[in-house]
Amino acid sequence: MEYAQAVPLKYAINPDECIYLQKGKCGNCKDVCPADAIDYEQKEIRKTINVGSIILSSGFTPFDPSKFDNYQYAMYPNVVTSMEFERILSASGPTHGHVLTRPKSSKKKDAENVKTPKKIAWLQCVGSRDMNRCDNAHCSSVCCMYAIKEAVIAKEHVGDDLDCTIFFMDMRTHGKDFERYYDAAREKHGIRFERSRIHTITEVPGTKDLSVRYANEKGELRNEVFDMIVLSIGLESSKQNIELANKLGLDLTPQNFCKTSTFEPVATSREGIFVCGAFQGPKDIPQSVVDASAAAEAAGAILAQARNTLTRSPEVVPETNVIGERPRIGVFVCRCGSNIAGIVDVLAVAEYASKLPYVEFSTDNLYACSQDTQDNMVQLIKEKNLNRIVVAACTPKTHEPLFQETLLNSGLNKYLFEMANIRNHDSWVHKNNPELATKKAKDLVRSAVSKVALAAPLAEAELEVNQTAMVIGGGISGITTAKSLAMQGFRTHLIERSGQLGGQALNLYHTSSNEDVQEKLSAMIQDIERNKKITIHLNTELSSVEGFVGNFKTTLSSKKKKKVLEHGVAVIATGAVPFQPDEYCFGQDSRIITSLDLDKKFMTNDPMLQDLVNAVFIQCVGSREPDRPYCSRVCCTHSVHNALELKKRNPKMNVYILYRDIRTYGEREILYKEARAAGVIFIRYSVNQKPGVVLSDGKILVTATDHVLGRLVEIEADLLTLASSIVPYKDEKLAKFFKVPMNDDGFFVERHAKLGPVEFATAGVFLCGLAHYPKPIDESIAQGQAAASRAVTLLSQKTIHTSGTVAKVNPAICSSCGVCLSICPYSAPSYLDEKARMFRGKAQINPVLCKGCGLCVASCRSGALHLQGFDNDQIFSQIYALSEAG
Amino acid sequence: MLAYITKIKEISDRLLKEQKVDLIIGFRKGTIPMMNEPCFAKTASDVKNLVWDSNCGINLANYLTNRKEKIGVIAKGCDARNIVTHILENKISREQLVIIGVPCKGMIDRRKVSAASGCEVAEVLEKPDGIVVKGPGVEKTIKKVDVLQDNCAICIHRNPVISDEMVADPVEEQKGVDRYEDVRRVEAMSPEEKWKYFEELLSPCIRCYACRNACPLCYCPTCFVDESKPQWVGKTLDPIDTRTFHFLRAYHCAGRCTDCGSCVRACPMGIDVRAFTKKLEKDALEFFGWEAGMSLNERPTLDTFKPDDPDHLIK
Amino acid sequence: MSDWEPKIVSFLCNWCSYGAADLTGVSRMQYPPNIRIVRIPCTGRMSPKFALAALREGADAVWVSG
Repeated sequence: MEYAQAVPLKYAINPDECIYLQKGKCGNCKDVCPADAIDYEQKEIRKTINVGSIILSSGFTPFDPSKFDNYQYAMYPNVVTSMEFERILSASGPTHGHVLTRPKSSKKKDAENVKTPKKIAWLQCVGSRDMNRCDNAHCSSVCCMYAIKEAVIAKEHVGDDLDCTIFFMDMRTHGKDFERYYDAAREKHGIRFERSRIHTITEVPGTKDLSVRYANEKGELRNEVFDMIVLSIGLESSKQNIELANKLGLDLTPQNFCKTSTFEPVATSREGIFVCGAFQGPKDIPQSVVDASAAAEAAGAILAQARNTLTRSPEVVPETNVIGERPRIGVFVCRCGSNIAGIVDVLAVAEYASKLPYVEFSTDNLYACSQDTQDNMVQLIKEKNLNRIVVAACTPKTHEPLFQETLLNSGLNKYLFEMANIRNHDSWVHKNNPELATKKAKDLVRSAVSKVALAAPLAEAELEVNQTAMVIGGGISGITTAKSLAMQGFRTHLIERSGQLGGQALNLYHTSSNEDVQEKLSAMIQDIERNKKITIHLNTELSSVEGFVGNFKTTLSSKKKKKVLEHGVAVIATGAVPFQPDEYCFGQDSRIITSLDLDKKFMTNDPMLQDLVNAVFIQCVGSREPDRPYCSRVCCTHSVHNALELKKRNPKMNVYILYRDIRTYGEREILYKEARAAGVIFIRYSVNQKPGVVLSDGKILVTATDHVLGRLVEIEADLLTLASSIVPYKDEKLAKFFKVPMNDDGFFVERHAKLGPVEFATAGVFLCGLAHYPKPIDESIAQGQAAASRAVTLLSQKTIHTSGTVAKVNPAICSSCGVCLSICPYSAPSYLDEKARMFRGKAQINPVLCKGCGLCVASCRSGALHLQGFDNDQIFSQIYALSEAG
Repeated sequence: MLAYITKIKEISDRLLKEQKVDLIIGFRKGTIPMMNEPCFAKTASDVKNLVWDSNCGINLANYLTNRKEKIGVIAKGCDARNIVTHILENKISREQLVIIGVPCKGMIDRRKVSAASGCEVAEVLEKPDGIVVKGPGVEKTIKKVDVLQDNCAICIHRNPVISDEMVADPVEEQKGVDRYEDVRRVEAMSPEEKWKYFEELLSPCIRCYACRNACPLCYCPTCFVDESKPQWVGKTLDPIDTRTFHFLRAYHCAGRCTDCGSCVRACPMGIDVRAFTKKLEKDALEFFGWEAGMSLNERPTLDTFKPDDPDHLIK
Repeated sequence: MSDWEPKIVSFLCNWCSYGAADLTGVSRMQYPPNIRIVRIPCTGRMSPKFALAALREGADAVWVSG
């Protein structure tokens, strides 16, 4: 098993290392396996599957730094890679999360000298942005952020006096909320950032400490000794990926990533084959998750007609009515091989359980989760007429659904079930104390039995899904989502506040890979205008939203009239706007413009571009500032690309880019390289010492301190382009309509920053484009596709079931005080209105909106609210059961 | 005081006559000294019985719960704050009420008066220069400030926050009052001292629930102490049950209590029940900047969640 | 008193702390067996009544995490 998180979490034999398979001897594993699961006869089987599309998600391989003799990774025990350091920090890693030196050494002598490090350095761009010693010209995009994270966590583990230094070239924290993390690492956690690329690591003679020599930002030479050095290794394509691409006949980029285009970011060069994740280019988790959903959408779109043609429906066992019956509890105590039984006396626990109140039957199982035990359980439930079940095994978080399925198969309501966690919370954590672990297991079983005795069958609300989608925002993401949804076969309404589709893309000239944006955009617009499944509403805004997942009712208002739209899902793609600069004399001279203004000049072939002598760009205008402490992500690439365009039009032109960090992440780095080769001059400035701009005698004078010369340079600019930031609309109204959160900057907050990047915690509402965070066109399109993909998982169902563990009101004792209405984050409670037959003005819960958190229940002073499945009497009985002597 | 009652009667008469209200809720003389009782005046002759003096400590918001009529209610500073909470918590609607605001200089504590007079009190008269207490063979004048209810002595909201008619111009609010000296003293105690303090504080409690009944916040159709499924709290005089009752009642008042003192006033055993609610009132102010019943536009602070709510208190 | 062991009842949020307790097991970290966990759907479900009940039933400490 390669990872603790492997799915399925099953062991496999590596035939190259197996003594039995290699030499025919041993066979120990077969002897000891209690489940009799070892089968040496299994052979590789070739299968042919007919598929309509293929998705490649074959990932990347971490760069191997052993070929760099200057870092001596292979020789020095205290030089580790960032991947190794991740394991060192992990609680399940080799040192259980303790940061110790010499992690790689197996020598006994070294083991005695292991110590907790006091100084750790990270070296960035190892195997990235480097054409001298390896062929990886690209930026790996994720290493700056993970190095900061590792440094912060290392300090958490070791203590605040751990000295952490990150040696970097450009700090690339261009992701959502990343800049804030960088600021906090520097200012709050005291992590030192040194802008310097380290050439060589040497060991201090007689010790295993590491010495580096570097020039700091001021150009002073320094020697510094560290206890440990982490190489922030980059991402590259594996050999297998390259072979796979060749086999499938796919084009690769010069960096050996799978070639895609801006407007079809997950489509490979071969029709029907799609790519997602780091094989498409180096990227982080959220971007990979977006890609994955986008690829699923693209693969699904061409197969939409075949949907549900190969599915089979399971047989439904009718539910037995147990209401009013005395509880007849069955207890199944799992041995989990020796995981539980090795510590806990399982037989004693089962025996103990059989004597508890209402327990009709108890037994132990080798593996409660195995298929034969499940089948057996169904038989026993029927045979013994059991109406409540307790499984004492592992955690309900992973296994509750499995056992609930078994209950359903035996005709029991799935909420008549409880688990006692005697593995994760007991045998695994008290392995030196079998006696007390057994006692604890009994307590946990008693507690579960007392709770399940009070369990009632719960109903899940079933609601029909209106299979219509509404997409808010007709920019490039919204257009993409609408198109994707329509291609998947769903009626889609696209709402645009202005009189024209296209959004901010209307202002863009070329993409960084030189595709004509206007040409592509108008093709996209034509495409959706022709699509019969899409209704476009221009000059339209939302005036109210009612309802919930599957059944929204939105009132649209355009200039004259209002109309109500019923839809099952909503996608928020409301975009953002360019920041209007308030510095650098913007607005005082027609030659001081924003990046988008420059694109306009390119589009109209403005003759003034020909005669420029000096063109200057200033980066981070309005970004990475106290008011907007985020990186706008696209501006570096945009300016570098535009600088190249100017050079192309007039190679004699002097082009200057004044920047803080160049953030041409991923393969965009190649553009940066090209720009430097083309003679574009990059001058760095710091936020404390911003460039000066003065208008004098009709001239634009730009001053900046050159970071190499340390001297003030003055440039007379004929054109000054300000790379202004991207600012969100901060649409509070929309946020309230759909009950979705917004961060301090005004961008919407997704369900999960890493794993749920295109949906909200509010069911049925999705997110894409600039409203989420600044991003270039390819990422906007991928996110648009991804949002459609996630929406389709809902829309393709006729009905959906909500959870049975929801709150319920006893109106007779409700005092109508309104705490539940005020405190519920999901607006599930409301008052029964005047038309109600009884209990007018008392609270009621909409089970569809309720997430079962229990806030209202705990806040209800009158005791009128109940959380089904976690009701007060159930929790009390658990507490009482815990106190009873075992 | 004389001016107040004249004006109260005048307003009450007018409101009833013009049928703006169905009844007036105010005070009339009780059967024993210093114990004015609430009364519902529906006619002009009822209005004649209305009184106003320093023995009107009962919180009249308590009598508004779930009433359907149009009501004129006499409201001191604290009553008015509880009326606000009542409106917010749907116990009565603003439209049903004509609030007759009474600026208040504090109510007197009958136990303090008895103690100061040193005799069985037969009659108490309020004079400009103090409170005249008459008993068997005794007549004594006491300064009002010396016998104020504890909560009145530290009150900083003597004028009603909400009213439709005022019986007089606002009185000056007390400035520079140290409201939480007693809470801080308990906070500074060691766990053992605290345990002892609360043990002694609650030892006289007979679980009569007078504090709950007098409290305008305690309006639930079924109180948790009366529920048996689940049984939140045992019904015996076991000290643990008694403590559980007081702790939980205090929690129910957190962020809602106006420190009106009704609970202390009602307690037949003289327990300083405010010791619990006041700590929570202090926390609500210090953590959330919240004073209950000051505005009709905001739900009690613990009913709402704000991302910038402090969280050090739960760590 | 030297061999006195506290009894701890903990109420853990299903979404974070309960999962963390699971992970503690997966990572085979060891801790004393004095603790009994009650799973609640969210710490929002936690009521002061539960804490008082646990204390009353003989717990020496109550731990709420989420």
